[in-house]
Amino acid sequence: MNKRIPIILAVAILAASCTEKINLKLDSTYTRLIVDGHIKSDPGTYSINLTKTSDYFANVPSPRLVNAMVSLTDGTTTFPLTETIPGISGVYNTEPAFAGKIGKNYTLNITLPEALAGTTQYSASSELIGVTKLDSIQTVFRPDIGKEGHWLVKLFAQDPPGSKNYYMINLYRNSKLWTDTITKVSVSDNQFFAGNYINGIDVFYINNEHKWETLYVGDTVMMELSAITKEYYDFVQQVQQAGISIPIFSGPPANVIGNVSNNGVGFFSAYSSSFAKTIVK
Amino acid sequence: MIYRKFLLILLILLSGTISVTAQKEKSKMFSISGKVTDIQNGESLIGATIYITEKKTGTVSDIYGNYSISLSPGEYTVTISYIGYAPVIKTITLNKDVSLRVELSTRQENLKEVEITSEKTNKNVARPEMSTFKLDMKTIETIPALFGEVDIIKAIQMLPGVQSVSEGSSGFSVRGGAPDQNLILLDDATVYNASHLLGFFSVFNNDAIKDVKLYKGDIPAAYGGRLASVLDIHMDEGNSKVFEINGGIGLISSRLTVEGPILKDRCSFIVSGRRTYADLYLPLSSNKALQNNKLYFYDLNAKINYKIGDNDQVFLSGYFGRDVFKNGFAGMQWGNGTGSARWNHLFSSKVFGNFSAVYSDYRYRISAGGSDVSGFQWDASLKDFGMKGDISYFLDPNNTVKFGISSTYHMIDPGVAKGTGTSVFNEVKVPKNYALESGIYAGNEQKIGQKFIVKYGLRLSLFQNIGPGTVYHYNSNYFTTGSSYYSSGKIFNTYYGIEPRLGILYEFNELSSVKASYARTNQYMQLAQNSTVGTPLDIWFPSSPNVKPQLCDQVAAGYFRNFRHNTIETSVEVYYKWMQHVIDFKDFAVLLLNDSLEGQLRVGKAWSYGAEFLIRLNEKKLSGWVSYTYSRVFRQIPLINDGKTYPAPYDKPNNVAIVLNYKISRRIMVSANWVYATGNPLTFPIGRAEIGNKIIPIYSDRNAYRYQAYHRLDISATLFSKPKPGKKFTWDLNFSVYNVYNRHNTWSIEFTQNNADPNVTDATKVYLFGIIPSITFNFHFNHE
Repeated sequence: MNKRIPIILAVAILAASCTEKINLKLDSTYTRLIVDGHIKSDPGTYSINLTKTSDYFANVPSPRLVNAMVSLTDGTTTFPLTETIPGISGVYNTEPAFAGKIGKNYTLNITLPEALAGTTQYSASSELIGVTKLDSIQTVFRPDIGKEGHWLVKLFAQDPPGSKNYYMINLYRNSKLWTDTITKVSVSDNQFFAGNYINGIDVFYINNEHKWETLYVGDTVMMELSAITKEYYDFVQQVQQAGISIPIFSGPPANVIGNVSNNGVGFFSAYSSSFAKTIVK
Repeated sequence: MIYRKFLLILLILLSGTISVTAQKEKSKMFSISGKVTDIQNGESLIGATIYITEKKTGTVSDIYGNYSISLSPGEYTVTISYIGYAPVIKTITLNKDVSLRVELSTRQENLKEVEITSEKTNKNVARPEMSTFKLDMKTIETIPALFGEVDIIKAIQMLPGVQSVSEGSSGFSVRGGAPDQNLILLDDATVYNASHLLGFFSVFNNDAIKDVKLYKGDIPAAYGGRLASVLDIHMDEGNSKVFEINGGIGLISSRLTVEGPILKDRCSFIVSGRRTYADLYLPLSSNKALQNNKLYFYDLNAKINYKIGDNDQVFLSGYFGRDVFKNGFAGMQWGNGTGSARWNHLFSSKVFGNFSAVYSDYRYRISAGGSDVSGFQWDASLKDFGMKGDISYFLDPNNTVKFGISSTYHMIDPGVAKGTGTSVFNEVKVPKNYALESGIYAGNEQKIGQKFIVKYGLRLSLFQNIGPGTVYHYNSNYFTTGSSYYSSGKIFNTYYGIEPRLGILYEFNELSSVKASYARTNQYMQLAQNSTVGTPLDIWFPSSPNVKPQLCDQVAAGYFRNFRHNTIETSVEVYYKWMQHVIDFKDFAVLLLNDSLEGQLRVGKAWSYGAEFLIRLNEKKLSGWVSYTYSRVFRQIPLINDGKTYPAPYDKPNNVAIVLNYKISRRIMVSANWVYATGNPLTFPIGRAEIGNKIIPIYSDRNAYRYQAYHRLDISATLFSKPKPGKKFTWDLNFSVYNVYNRHNTWSIEFTQNNADPNVTDATKVYLFGIIPSITFNFHFNHE
C-alpha cells in the first residue's frame, strides 16, 4: 500500500501548472563529511565513498575526501579498508570476498587527515539483518495506466511473522542496475502485510513513455530484496522526499537524518539480499 | 463535578449583573421589540440598525432579525435602517411594550430616499465590537473571481489581517494564526474542511448563503474552541413571499437555486445545488492519461424555516458536498456534511432564545488497485453531534445580557486502511478517539453614560476525552514506552479553560470612537497537517493526556472614524497575541495512518502582532475597501529549528488589498481588485551532498528565505438586464479577468538535478495561474 498515492493524484491535478527556471542567490554553510556506502552478507568487495559537501549551486561533483583512515569492526574483529587510488579517489574498499554476518552490528570508523567541521573522527553503525527468501517475480503490462501504459513488477515472498520488517528493493535489467539512483529504489515497511504471504504486490511502476528505461519483451529482469534497518529505511524515504516539494503534500523541508556521527551526512548501511529473475513476456 | 462548579460561577456572575441593574430599575421602562425583514422575500435582516433619535441611542438586530430596546415612557422617533435598503422611520408613543415588525425594501425607486435621509449607519463607530468584518453576498458577488466562481473564502482573504496561505487555496490565516485555528460555522455547524478541488474553490455556494461575519479578535463569549477567528456563515432562509429560481452558468460549474413559500409569510424553503464540469473537458485532452480521469465536485444546500407564531420560528438546514477524483489507477473522494435544527423563541419582548442541535461530518476515502492484489481502500472521518442554547436578555437600554451553554461530542476515526479484492494487505487501523467539548458563558454589554460602553463576559470551556481510547506514553525523545487502554464511556482526561472576554468603547462623537478588547481562547481540536497549503487528507486530533490545549491571549485597540454621513468608514487597529502550546511537527513527520501521531508533535509558543489600516467605502456608486496590514508571526518550539525562533509559514509582513466596485449605470457595473503580499517564508537549500547518485540538499534555518512578493490585479464587468418594474425574468452577464497583467506568482520552488548534467542543480519556479479570462451568466426568475 502506498501512502504516496495522494501525491500521484495531486501531481496529475497540477499537471496544468506552469514552471520556469529562476536564478536564486543562496548563502553558504560549513563543509560537512559525506559517507555513502554499504556492506552485505554476500562475499564481495564493498566500497565506501567519502566526499565533502559544497554550495548548493556548486554545479560540480562533490569534492573527494582522500587519505582518510577507514576501518570496519563487528565488535571483535577489525577489517581495514584501503583507498583504491591513494590520495585521489576517495573510494575506500574492503578486502575482496568480505562478507558480513547476519545479526552482527558493524561500525565504520573514519579518521580524516585534517579536521572537517571541527573534528577528524567520524563513525557510523548499522546492524546486518537477515532477509526472507524472494520466491519469484513477475512483470505485467498495464496499458490503461498513463499515456503509453506502465510495466508493473510484482513480488512474491513470505513476510516473516512477528516482527516489524523493513525492505529495500533494487531492480536489474539485463544485468544492469535499473535502480541506479537512490530515488528509484523502492523501500517499504511491512505495516500493511505483516506476517502475510506477499502474493504479487506491485513494487515498481515503470512508465512505458520513458523509452530509455522501460522494459522490452525478452529482457531479463532481476529483483534484489534486502532487509534493512529502520534507520536506513527512514533515511531512504527522507532522501526520496527531499527532492520533491509540493506545497499541498510536503511538510517543511528538512535535513535528511543519516547515521554518521558529528554532523556528518549520509549513511553507512549493512544488509542481506535475496534475488529472483524473470524474462519479460 | 466541574460542570457544577461552572454553573455556580455562572449563577454568581448572572445574579451579580441582575442585582446591580435591578437597583437601577426605579422608573418604569417599556420596550420596543420586533423583527426586521426584507419586504421582497421575507428573510430576516441581520445587523439592521434601530436608532432612537431623541436618545441618541440604538441597537442592532440579531442573527434572526430580532431586536429589542427598553426606554422610559415618551414620544420617540425610531429609524430602522440597513445598508442598501431604504430606511423606515416611525414615531412611537411609548406607554406600554410595543411590538414593531419592520419590512425594509431595496427597490430602486426608494433608493433615492437613502441619500436624502442620510440615516445613521455608524455601527462600526458606535458598537462595542472590533476586529470584525461583515460581508453580504451582494458585496462578495461584485468581486472578480478566479474562473468567475464567486467565493466567500476568497473574499475573506482580501480583508485586513487575513492572509491566504497560498495562491488559490481556501486556507486562511487570521492575525498570524494557523488555518486550523479558524472556527468555520455554517448555520452553527462546524465545517472542518472548507476546500473543494484542493482549495481552489470553497464549499460555500454563494447562491445559498445569506451573509458572512468574520471575528478576527474580540471574539464574543458565545464562541470558543479555536484560537484565531470565527467565520460565522448563515444560509439563506428562502423567500416566504414568492417563488424564485436563481441560476448561473460558468466555465467551471453551474448553479441552480429554487426557493419559495410553502405557507405564505410563514414557511419557506430553499434548495441550492452546484456541480463542476471541468472533467467533461478531459476527454478532449490530447493527453491520453488524462482522458479517463474524473474530477468534479458538487454541493447541495437546503433550508426550511417555519414561523409557528409571532414568538417561534424553526429552521432546518443542511449541507452536503463531495469531491471526486479518479483515474484508471486510483481514486479519492472527500467532503463535508452538516445539519442544523434550530428553534428561535421570544420568551418576552426582552428575552430571546435560540436552541440548536447540529451535526457535522467530514470524511475522505482513497482507493487504488480495485480487486487487484495491490488493491486497498483507506477511510477516515470525523463526526460531531452538538447541542446549544443561547439567551439574549435586553434588560434595559444600558444592559444586554447574553448567556448560554453548548456541548459537542466528537467522534474521530483517524483512518482504517484495508485490502480489497484479492489483496494481501492487512487491515491497518488507527484507534478511534471520542471527546466531549462543552462551554458555558455569560456576558453583559453595559452602557455607562453617553460615552462609554463596556462589554464583559466569561466563557468556561471543558474538554473531556472519553473511552474507548488508547493513550500511548512517550519518553522525552518522543518514543513510545507503553500504552494505556480506557474502556468505553470512561472519562480519562479532563481539561478546562477560563476564558475572559472584555471590551471597551469610548465614543468621542457620532463619527469617531476608540475601542480596546482582550480575549482568551482555548483550542482542543487541531489538524494534523504539516503542508503549507492544506490537503483533503485532514486528520483532526483532540487534546489528550499528551496534547495540552492551545491557548491564546489577544489584546487589540483601535480608532474608528467615519466620514461623509458614514459612507466612508475608516479604522486603525493594532493587536498583539501570545499563543501557548502551539503545535508544529517534527521533520519528516508521518501523520497519516500513524497510531502514535502524538509522538510526531512538537509543542512550543508563538506570538504575533500587527497593525491594520482600513478605509471602507459605501457611496452610492463606489463601494469596496482599501486596506494595508503590517503583521508578523513567530514560533519558538524546542526541537524545531534547533530551538531558535523562526517565522511561521504565514508570516507575510506587508499586505495591501484594494477592492473596488463602481456602478456606471443601472445596467453596467465594473469591479477591480489588487492584492499585494510579501512572499511566503521558505526554507532553501544552502549546501549539497551527493548520495546514491542523487544530490541531497542541506537546508538553511527554518523559513530563512522568502518567495518574491505576490501581487495580482483582477477586473470584471457585469451587464444587467434592463430594469423594469414587475419584470419576472432578469439576468446578468459577468466578464472577469484574473491576474490581468499575467504575473507569474510563485506557488513553489523546486530544486532539481539537471537532466543533461546531473552535477548541475536548477531552481524551478512553479506558478499556477497566468492570466485567466472567464464569463458567467446568472439568471433570476420569480413567480408572483
